[in-house]
Amino acid sequence: MNAILALWNRFFFAEQSPVPLALFRIVYGLLVIVTILLLKADWISWYGTHAWMSLDTMRELEPGVRLNLFTILPKDDRSVIALFWIFLASAVLLTVGFLSRLNSIVVYLCLASIQQRNLYILHGGDTFLRVAGFFLIFAPAGAALSVDRLLRVWRGREQSGVPAHRLWAQRMIQIELSLVYFATFCWKLKGTAWMEGSALFYIFHLFELRRFPLPDLLLQPGILKLGTWSAMVLEFSLGTLIWVRRIRYKVLAAGLLFHLSLEYSLNVPMFQWDVLSAYLLFIDARDLERAWNWVSIRLSPWLGEPVTVIYDSHSERTRRLVNLLIAVDIFRRLVFKASDETRNQTAAEGEQNKRKLVIATSSGPCLETDAGRMLAKAIPLLWPLVPCCYVWKVVQNWK
Amino acid sequence: MAGTLPVPKTVRDKPSPTNPFARWSDRAINLFLLFHLFAIPIWCLPSDSLPLLVVRELVRPYFLWSGLFQSWDMFSPSPKRTNGYLEARLVYTDGTSDYWQFPRMDRLSQNERYLKERYRKFEEILTDDKFSDLWPDVARYIARHPPNGSKRPEMIMLIRNWSDLVRNADGSFTDLPWQSRVFYRYRVEPEDFNGQ
Repeated sequence: MNAILALWNRFFFAEQSPVPLALFRIVYGLLVIVTILLLKADWISWYGTHAWMSLDTMRELEPGVRLNLFTILPKDDRSVIALFWIFLASAVLLTVGFLSRLNSIVVYLCLASIQQRNLYILHGGDTFLRVAGFFLIFAPAGAALSVDRLLRVWRGREQSGVPAHRLWAQRMIQIELSLVYFATFCWKLKGTAWMEGSALFYIFHLFELRRFPLPDLLLQPGILKLGTWSAMVLEFSLGTLIWVRRIRYKVLAAGLLFHLSLEYSLNVPMFQWDVLSAYLLFIDARDLERAWNWVSIRLSPWLGEPVTVIYDSHSERTRRLVNLLIAVDIFRRLVFKASDETRNQTAAEGEQNKRKLVIATSSGPCLETDAGRMLAKAIPLLWPLVPCCYVWKVVQNWK
Repeated sequence: MAGTLPVPKTVRDKPSPTNPFARWSDRAINLFLLFHLFAIPIWCLPSDSLPLLVVRELVRPYFLWSGLFQSWDMFSPSPKRTNGYLEARLVYTDGTSDYWQFPRMDRLSQNERYLKERYRKFEEILTDDKFSDLWPDVARYIARHPPNGSKRPEMIMLIRNWSDLVRNADGSFTDLPWQSRVFYRYRVEPEDFNGQ
């Protein structure tokens, strides 16, 4: 019993890096944004007061008490349009990780509401987004790669390293993903077309589902039969073997190829990406770190020389600012030196530079606005701020 | 956005407290996990044995309310074997008529197909007699959006067009000729235009 408890405890409650979860949050947010934007043209047709299906009909056909904001919204199209913009804004905020918990709740409420409003236009990807969104509410989605974290670092509540978290909610999304595949596999076992190997033929010959043309070779009965059975083997593997650490990445790679081939051949918008997004949760944070290092090293020649930042280590404000910069500097463009480590500055310069960040350049130190501009140029995530720095400098000079 | 990707060594995979049920909040989380780990598979695995049906009925209110209901019967147990599309015939008060086309996936550009795919799903549902309660709403929607905007229709007919895909003895497949059937007629009432 103790062994089972320990296993349970380790599986759900061992503290781990929240970086894969944060990446999932970003991709999830983007997928929700794209889903909403794809719906925009028909938003009123599907969800308006005079939509294809009235709310009352939906409730008659699918009775039960449901989380559905449409039941409490005023019965006019303006509120339905307002819901669109609130949903979109909240999805954007969730993606950047601002008020992550609140926005994960708002996104879930909006997503569940539009799905409950019309259940007859959904595909599996929508369902997966909804169920994953439910568990995302309980996850520390803003623990890394988020504006929330930047604010915590700035307020001194966190240091530059990302703290570990208990990721039981992430585990539930992982379990949900494997269950999706396993349940799909079980359903297919019940179908003669799948067992005899003809299912893919029917699917690829439905003109309403076709996307890009497949080579004739792939449409031969023998190949389609093999493809039908391979799909079942793959779905079983993704439902079960994905938990075997030793072969996990091979299974994920096969799943990725499988979904990309479906994305090419079948027109089921966003479905493949919705499901693939949860693959991120199966990637070990250490492997992500290695992959990121690899990317950073290859990108560094394109990003120019690293910038040396000299700071006053005795100033609380400056230390927080440095932590903030470390958090933003995901390509490691900055080298930090405490001012007491730098021997070559005069006492007067040292006094002047106290409580400030100084950027060391070949032509001498840069301070204040110039330093800000150099930092914005050095850190890709801050590039959008570069024009603002120039405008700020012009304003200062004008004054 | 914030957060360095590197994981600081000091915070990696720290073991959690030995007893997961020690605090009341942990107990609540564990109950939450146990319930969902039990209920979700029972909800979505394709078995109709009596105990599973009983559990599904018990958890149904919560699943419907929370949005955790789900079904993963993608292209299964049997994929569709029919190509098809829907259209509507509108008869106006002056006796003339017109056709209203639902977006036909095979006639749309790649981008339009991506944007309008939900119509394909909706049409699939509409042709199922189980969802006949939807038909009056659909007919009313079409009456409010006639192709000829200046005239009001008095009758809407929903028409299903289909062509079966048949497997031959040698393993090849044939598309059978297209068939057509009016599956619903709706007489438009003046109040159908209220609030438009």
